[in-house]
Amino acid sequence: MRWTTPAAVVVAAAITWWSASEDFGIGLSLEEIASNFTRARPIIQEFLDPQWSYWPAIVDPFMETVKMAIVAAVIGCGIALAAGFLASKVTSPNTVTYLADKGVLSVLRSIPDVLYALVFVAAVGIGPLAGIMAMVFFNIGIVAKLLSETVDAVDLGPIEAARATGGSRFAAVRTAVFPQVLPNYLAYSLYVFELNLRASAVIGIVGAGGIGQLINIERTAFRYDRLAVIIVAIFVIVFVVESVSIAVRRRLV
Amino acid sequence: MISFQHATVTYPGGVHALRDITLDVPAGQLIVVVGLSGAGKSTLIRAINGLVPLTDGQVLVDGVSVSGASRRELRDLRAGVGMIFQNFNLTKRTSVLNNVLMGRMHYTPWWRVMTGVYRSADREIAMQALERVEIVDKAYVRASNLSGGQQQRVGIARALAQQPKVLLADEPVASLDPPTSHVVMRDLQRINRDLGITTLVNLHFLDLARRYGERIIGLRAGRIVFDGKGEDCDERVFRDIYGRSLTADDVLEARPQL
Amino acid sequence: MTTTKAPGADVRRQPGARPRKPRRYGAWLLNGAIIVAFFWAIGSLEDLGLADLIGAPAKMWDIFGLMFSPPDWSYFPTAMEGMVESLQIAWIGTMIAAAASLPMGFLAAKNVTARVGSTVTRQVLNAIRSVPELILAIVFIPIVGLGAVAGALAIGVHSIGTLGKLSAEAIEGIDTGPVEAARATGASQAGVMRWGVLPQVLPEIVAFWLYRFEVNIRAAAILGIVGAGGVGSVLQNTISFRRWDKAGMTILVVIVVTVLVDATSSAIRRRLIRGSTAATASDPTTEVVA
Repeated sequence: MRWTTPAAVVVAAAITWWSASEDFGIGLSLEEIASNFTRARPIIQEFLDPQWSYWPAIVDPFMETVKMAIVAAVIGCGIALAAGFLASKVTSPNTVTYLADKGVLSVLRSIPDVLYALVFVAAVGIGPLAGIMAMVFFNIGIVAKLLSETVDAVDLGPIEAARATGGSRFAAVRTAVFPQVLPNYLAYSLYVFELNLRASAVIGIVGAGGIGQLINIERTAFRYDRLAVIIVAIFVIVFVVESVSIAVRRRLV
Repeated sequence: MISFQHATVTYPGGVHALRDITLDVPAGQLIVVVGLSGAGKSTLIRAINGLVPLTDGQVLVDGVSVSGASRRELRDLRAGVGMIFQNFNLTKRTSVLNNVLMGRMHYTPWWRVMTGVYRSADREIAMQALERVEIVDKAYVRASNLSGGQQQRVGIARALAQQPKVLLADEPVASLDPPTSHVVMRDLQRINRDLGITTLVNLHFLDLARRYGERIIGLRAGRIVFDGKGEDCDERVFRDIYGRSLTADDVLEARPQL
Repeated sequence: MTTTKAPGADVRRQPGARPRKPRRYGAWLLNGAIIVAFFWAIGSLEDLGLADLIGAPAKMWDIFGLMFSPPDWSYFPTAMEGMVESLQIAWIGTMIAAAASLPMGFLAAKNVTARVGSTVTRQVLNAIRSVPELILAIVFIPIVGLGAVAGALAIGVHSIGTLGKLSAEAIEGIDTGPVEAARATGASQAGVMRWGVLPQVLPEIVAFWLYRFEVNIRAAAILGIVGAGGVGSVLQNTISFRRWDKAGMTILVVIVVTVLVDATSSAIRRRLIRGSTAATASDPTTEVVA
């Protein structure tokens, strides 16, 4: 560790300089940012002075977002239940299924939610269907992975008991494993529902329905006072749902 | 009922758990298997329902060869053999009744298992099994809320719900205190006598073995070194089985005499 | 053992009457609520166009084929250029967040800061966390202009929330011995933090930074769709103009580069620290579930 620490600092500094530089990187300049913030005062003021009377217009898109999040979470978590059990050595019927499922899941997870949305919008057109499909894939990846890790850690005793009664592998999973992981599974489902609310604000920007679509309209119309209302609303809803969800999840597990 | 013919189990890694075991268990007998840990007791019991596959020889249960059975046949065979475990092996997060209903799984279509809606006849069998071990009042209690002794009785009820011909018990009292151990052993004895179920019990306490075993099998390093009545199992025999003198750890009542 | 009475015979058992099956309203209510919510949501979503779903698998298969059989290799430099910019955005964003979150972490740690202060800081961190990067980017773009700087700022600000929280938790888990030792020497509060606390938590916190970098790469890959720099704009352009072979090339670059950087970064994390959440949270797509 003696010489690696300074070396790491030097490498990190070099990467930072390279990334920030005008010529090779993104051209980060503190002076420029500072002067931008001064020049952009009218815009900042518009953000800080939301047009509160705008709020009725955001109710419907927000309901759409919530509905999309529910539908996607239910479908995604349903599929993830099967995918999760197949991705654990404890419950997977054979090594081939196990490895194949694990591989598919890690590819699913390496694709960002917005990228799914872009592709699905191109495939099924603009609207909530594309958004739901994007979130379903996004949810499968996360829930199945978390679930399979929970299954990896279950008590193996009841499985042996279930096998000893002459039960099939499926019966053993249902009666000996599922009850053990159910609280965690519910917690993960709640967690992705919460992620969906946040994600749908974002994937709507590429045309996948919900509040994000409204964001895109106001953004391109430079209505920062209205954007501010939407952002505050997203913030409040995500904050509230997250607090509730964390409290419930703590009680579950 | 059960017949071992030159049964041998060698684990990957070269551990010889059973060496050339030949043994006949007539129907209705209560047999206690004693030996040090690692002597092959657990392997012997698990060879009977195929949880541990044989590497050589064969085991017949009611005339059916365990190692020759297909997956389907093996499951049919297991359904007729109840098993009780040292750590109870209950699914703790679900009710006692659901645990006992596991014993009916083999006779229940998959969709009923999936939805958890068992036939009323099967629920009746499960309830009767709980009544036999006198714990039916806890039927809807979560298994995790029971004491160790109660959990083991649920384990016995689960095995009984299979309506088995053979009952295997792998160190059923090793996790229990002395009074509870006797309760559980007497339950097993009563079930053996009342229902005539052939019963094999692994124990490491010699006094319990002598008290409850109609017949005692001593195992040492995978071989049978004693096979006889409890009263014939004296200090000399004991040294053969354990390879040393009796100590306080070998008896339940903490007194090193038989 | 002189008596014939078996030991334990006096253990009483309750006579068993069969209990009545309890009604499990909770489970029914939960199942019912989920089913009702699901169908209510599907039924009331306007323009859902479920009919589009019928042709979707075939269409997706077609698109998949067009993307990767084969991808347009000549597009590699363009895709790579965008991805490198995304990496730079992620790195700068992480650095901004690291610098800002370290003091915030101390302020939010209950064993370092007074109760009121730590609670307020914690809430501020939670609040920051709940605004997605892309929304922050939309706010920053009109201020600092289109481009990667807005993206880096958006990622930086958003990450302060998570990093501050994780740092605070690391600080709360410290061994108090060295803190007392430093205090015993008569050091100032700042001195105690610098010499008593920081050395203990730094490896873990640096591991959190790297972990966050991995998360941020994913975010930076999509920021381009609102004009905040990186490969996102390339993705959006190729996909919305249905240049599938070019889109395929770009997606390939995104996935491969992400996986490679992840592997490097998590290897460093594992060397840095063993057994903590930072090291075990090996997959940045499933963030630590509270």
